Order: sequence, then structure tokens, then C-alpha cells
Amino acid sequence: MNLLRAEWTKLRSVNRWMLTLLAAGVLTVGFGLVAASGGRTEINQHPNFIVGPKGQPVLDDFMFVHRPLSGDGTIAVRVVDQADSHEWAGAGVIVKQSLTSGSRYALVMTTPRHGVRFRSDFDTDIPATAGLSSRWLKLSRSGGTVTGFESADGASWRELGRVAFTEGTVEIGLFVSSPPHRVVERRPGGATTTDNPTVGTAVFDNVTTSAPGRWSGSDVRGPGGYEGAPTTPGTLEERDDVLTVHGSGGIGPNPPDDDPVSAGLYGVLMGLMAIIAVSVLFVTSEYKRGMILTTLAAHPGRVRMLAAKAAVAGTAAFVVALAGSAIAFLVTQPLLRDNGFRPPAYQPLSITDPSVLRALGGTAVFVACVAVFALAVGVIMRHSAAAITTTVALVILPTILSIALPPAVSKWILQLTLTAGFALQRAKPPTNTVEPWANLEPWSALTVCVAYAATGFTIAAVLLRRRDA
Amino acid sequence: MPSIEVRGLRKCYGRTVAVDGLTFTAKPGEVTGFVGPNGAGKSTTMRLVLGLDSADAGQALVDGHAYRRLRHPLTHVGALLDASAIHPARRARDHLLWLVHSNGLPRRRVDEVLELVGLAPAAGRRAGGFSLGMKQRLGIAAALLGDPPVLMLDEPVNGLDPEGIVWVRRLLRSFAAEGRAVLVSSHLMSELEDTAGHVVVIGRGRLLADTSVADLLAAASGDRVDVLTSQRTEAMTVLANAGATVSASDEESLTVQGLPGERVAALLTDANIPFSELRRHRASLEEAYMELTRSSIEFGAVS
Repeated sequence: MNLLRAEWTKLRSVNRWMLTLLAAGVLTVGFGLVAASGGRTEINQHPNFIVGPKGQPVLDDFMFVHRPLSGDGTIAVRVVDQADSHEWAGAGVIVKQSLTSGSRYALVMTTPRHGVRFRSDFDTDIPATAGLSSRWLKLSRSGGTVTGFESADGASWRELGRVAFTEGTVEIGLFVSSPPHRVVERRPGGATTTDNPTVGTAVFDNVTTSAPGRWSGSDVRGPGGYEGAPTTPGTLEERDDVLTVHGSGGIGPNPPDDDPVSAGLYGVLMGLMAIIAVSVLFVTSEYKRGMILTTLAAHPGRVRMLAAKAAVAGTAAFVVALAGSAIAFLVTQPLLRDNGFRPPAYQPLSITDPSVLRALGGTAVFVACVAVFALAVGVIMRHSAAAITTTVALVILPTILSIALPPAVSKWILQLTLTAGFALQRAKPPTNTVEPWANLEPWSALTVCVAYAATGFTIAAVLLRRRDA
Repeated sequence: MPSIEVRGLRKCYGRTVAVDGLTFTAKPGEVTGFVGPNGAGKSTTMRLVLGLDSADAGQALVDGHAYRRLRHPLTHVGALLDASAIHPARRARDHLLWLVHSNGLPRRRVDEVLELVGLAPAAGRRAGGFSLGMKQRLGIAAALLGDPPVLMLDEPVNGLDPEGIVWVRRLLRSFAAEGRAVLVSSHLMSELEDTAGHVVVIGRGRLLADTSVADLLAAASGDRVDVLTSQRTEAMTVLANAGATVSASDEESLTVQGLPGERVAALLTDANIPFSELRRHRASLEEAYMELTRSSIEFGAVS
């Protein structure tokens, strides 16, 4: 505690450091505003999505083998076989409000790599716990609710979940979906994403349903307008109570790749440069003038002294980055809304949304980790200019490289360098797009940042202990 | 118990042996002068005592402890190594404030030591604008924060004006009078005259003398006697015939070695040679020091 007070006194008593920290906040907000005022989207004029029951952008393309159902009823089936056309390809049973893309639904499906799932209305996804073994799926509609079941043998059924559903006449049946496969191509100077259709295949038997009538097969399709998700037409073969279905497309939320939260945080990179400078100088200025002797004489416990210094630098960076990015968020969102980032493609965001809080907090942790790392580099190199240059290069170079190099390489760069931290700026789930860090899970990004700070600190601590002052 | 105890201390930087088997102590209630030419190893020894550099052999204890084990070292030893080692943008008061915090000392100590060294009016000024003398005062203030029983100052009068030098000397003497152990280094023996009661002289990292100032002077003076006479030539003949080594210091005086004072007086009286003064030769501290370090000066251009 004494040491923390001592190091904090050192930091706050050099005016130019405090001004630089303030400048870091101003840069974060200022460059955020500049970037946000230039960021424009016309996705609402040329949507590649359709609007779901709750007004959100969704994808709703699949091959539907259906018959009408009025009132209560069930459908059960065994999925004999499913092709591995896409990890999220689906085959199973579904009730749907109508044949219109974007209408309400509830389904149970098997997937090639993610087991059995019970899903509804583009926002509910309940995984089965039984793993991949269940091949029997069932839906039961009763009044205003639909219940999903799975079974390994068609005799004993396990309930997966229960959701509210619309009343009146609906369509019930089987479906096959297989989302398009995205390819990101990156060359120096630009990147393109291409969505290639995939075709899923599933074989069903033991189809039992309380709904009367005959099966008819039809594709549920969104408008598929400008850049809409590509699909190929589905097919249905019926032979001796065995149904073979080919289908293409996906069912689920379909938010645009661009993240308005991270779009408002472009200035963080600029603020980061100022924070790196202060963090390095916080220790190298002591080496430059021999003050490190006074510091180490006043507190011979060197590792604890370094820990106090790191805590002070890290906390200062965290506070500046958190305040800066929170303000940047608040001032850029109205600007981005005016520039096209508005419903239905972009749902309104509040600073109290958990995903927004996570993005802002994660960004602040990232900046704090870089500050600790910069301090450690300062201790290791004991030279201001060398340490600042090294740290800045370690942040900037991988960022440039990851954008310029092919996806397979940039994936590695991200997982091994501080550039991973930019993934923490996103409030949206990871997605495979032109910005390589958009594809990184926030948790693995956080791990990379903390690992850098911890490794840097450890090396600095060992050297500080071993070397003469 | 000695307040600074150095035993068999050795430190090499690469191939250079900076300190070579050094042993000495600094006792409470006394100013110990730590002298030697530039590059003799004084600063290195002080860094080793403060645990800043690690010794290759031997050990140094302060107040009975290895420095690195001290929890609040400023309350045991106050040290001034380099007065200009301060951040120029930091105010004098803030420089002392972080030191106070680091050792859990009361905040009022800042104003107390500023008052003591006469820097109170400059407390709010940035250290970058200080003269060297003011920086020395600030450094001494920092050393005094923990009211330590041991003080260790590296060349504290360097760069001070005559008034400042007098001030430092008086301060050091008063600390010793309060019972503190004071180790103060200098490359000029004359700076320590009238201040140090004890001197540790080193050259090329080795101990040359560890003795009281009085003994050092006596040893350098030897059994020499100064004689003031108008008949220099006659006196030299008489004394040389009696077996003494005689040298002429200047026109009127002789320095006689090898005969006690009474015998010199008797011989001159018997030979009817008048002399106006006869006294034991008193070497200056500087003279004694030059004698000791003549062979160990590493860098010819001692400032």
C-alpha cells in the first residue's frame, strides 16, 4: 500500500505525464469521432437480410417438407443420415408460422458438429446435453407452446425445452438447411469476402405426425437481394417411407459484420500510443537520471516495487481507456446512426447493454495490459526511445501484417501478438470478415493480452532482481 | 556496534576490479571520512552497502542488517549518492513525498526536512530549475526523512559554494554529535579537515588506511622537528654530524628527522647557534593523503 502511494505520487507529480494521459483520452474520443463520421452504411437500403419477428435482421432460408397443422399436434422422425456440408448444417423437425421467410418457428435439429439443438424465433438456442448420439427428434404443439424432444431409440423421449408459439394454423414438417461457406481473400491492399452456397443432405425415416395430408416440398427463401445469402434450390425424394431431402441456406440471426461499437473505438489505437509513452517513461526516466538508485534504496524489495509500478501504470491506463472509450461510445453512436447504422440492420445500443459493457471493459483491460507490457519493456531495455519504439512496433506491425497477409497466417499473428486485443472492442459475436480480429473470441483475445503483460512483467522482474541497479 | 560494517567486500565489473577485499567500519557519534582518488571505488562501495549492486564476495551490514533485508530502510540509513538524480519536472516537495510514502513515514517529515536544509521557500518549485547546491540540499533532505541513525553521503560538498561547504560541514558535525554514524566520501582530503574524526583511505579498490585523523597526521609527521634559524648552514652541519637527516624547507627553516626535539635543542645550544622556534613537524592531512595515495592514483587528472 505504501509502495502504491509512492508510485502514484511519482506519476501524478510529473505534469507532462498527467497531460499525456489526458491526451490519450482525448485522442481516443477525437479519432473515434473522425472515424465514425466517415463510416457509412447503406445496408438498410440494400439489405442482405430479412426482418425477423422481433424486428431484428435474420437469415431464413431452408428446404421445407411440410403440411398444414391446425390446433395441437406432434411430429417425430429419425434422422438416418446427415451430410457434413457445413458445421452448422441442420436437419430435423420444424413448426413454422407460415411459408414466409422471417416468420416465427420452433425446431429440433441435428448438426454435423454441434449436436442436437432446440431453437426458436432466431433468438433461442438450447443445446442437448446428450451429445451426438440422439437421432430421434420430436416437436409437440399444445395450445400456445411448443416442446422439443430428443431420443436415442424413439421410445424414451427427453425434453429439451419449451417455447411460446403462435396459435392458429401453421405449417409442420421436416427441413434441411446448410449455411453458405464464407471465404475471405486477403491481398496487400484489400480484402474480399465471398459467400459460396453449400447443399445439405439428410435422410429421414419413421416419420410420424398427427397432421393430416400429404408432404409437399418448397424452399423458404428471403428476398436474397443485393448481396443476399446465396442458395441453391432444394429437392425432396420420397421412397418407401424414406425421405431424402437436399436443402440450402441457414436459419438464424444475421447481424451485419460491421460492429458499430468497435467502429466508435478506432481512436483507442491512437490513445494507446500516448499510454505506451507514459508507461515506458514512468520507469526509463528513472534510469536516465539515476533516480532508480533512490527508488531501489528506498525500497530494496525490487519485485514488489515493480509490481506497485505496474499496478499504478496499469490502473491509470485502465481508467483513461475506460473513460475515453465510454465517452467515445456515447458520442459516436448518434453519429453512426445518422450514417446508416440504424434498425433494422443495427439494433439500437445502450451503454448498459452487457455486450457493450464487455466491449468497453475489455478495451480498457487491453490498454492496461499494453501499459504493463510497455513498463516491462522499459525495465528490460532501460532506454526510453528503444522501449517506446519496440512496444509501438509490437502493437502496430502485427495489425498491419494481419490485414495484409492471408487468413491462415493472420490467424496465427492474432493469437501470438497484442493485436488480438482489438478483438475485445467488438460487442458482436466473432465473425469471419475482412478485419481479422473480428473472428477472435473475446476470451482468447483477453488471454493473449494478459499473457503478454504477465510474461513481460516476469522477465522484467527477473532482470531487475539479477542485475545491478 | 558499528553502524556501517564492511567486511572483505569485492566487486568486479567485467575485468575491472572496482573494490578489492575492502574492510572498514563507521561508528556512531563520529564522522568517518571515506577518501580516495576519483575511481578508487568509493561510489561502488556505497552502492554495495545500499544493496544496489551485489557484491562478488564479502558483505556489508548497516545498523546490523544486510540492506536488502530492511523493511523501511530510510529509517536506518539516509543516503545521498547523486544529487542530480531527480526528475526535473517534479516539485521538491513531491520528490520527498513519494519517499515518505514508500517508507510509511509521516507526511510532516517533508516540511521538517525542507526547513532543516533551508529549502522551505523552494518546496513548490520544480527540481529541474535548482542549482547544484539546491539539489545537494534536496538530496540531504531526502536522506534525513527517516531520521536515520546512519548517514552515508557521496561527495556532498561537490559543487557547493564556500557558504554551502561550511553549512554541510557544520551539519555533518552536528549529526555526529547527536550520536549518528556519518560516512562521507570525498576525493579531496582537505574537504574533510576539521570535519572527520576518522578516515578510511582507499585506492584502486583497496584499503590504504583506516585510522583516526590524529594518528594519520602523527604517522605522516613521523619524529620530525621543524627548526627556525638564521644560521641554516651551520645548523645543518651540526645536526647531520649527530646522525639526523636534515632538509631545508625554506630560507629560514629546517626539518629534522631522526633526533628527538630535546636533543636538537641541546645540540644547537652547545654549538651556539641561535634558533627562534623549535616544534614538532605537523603534516597537513592533504600531505598525509598524497603520501598514501601516490601509488594508487589511477586517473592522472585528478580535479
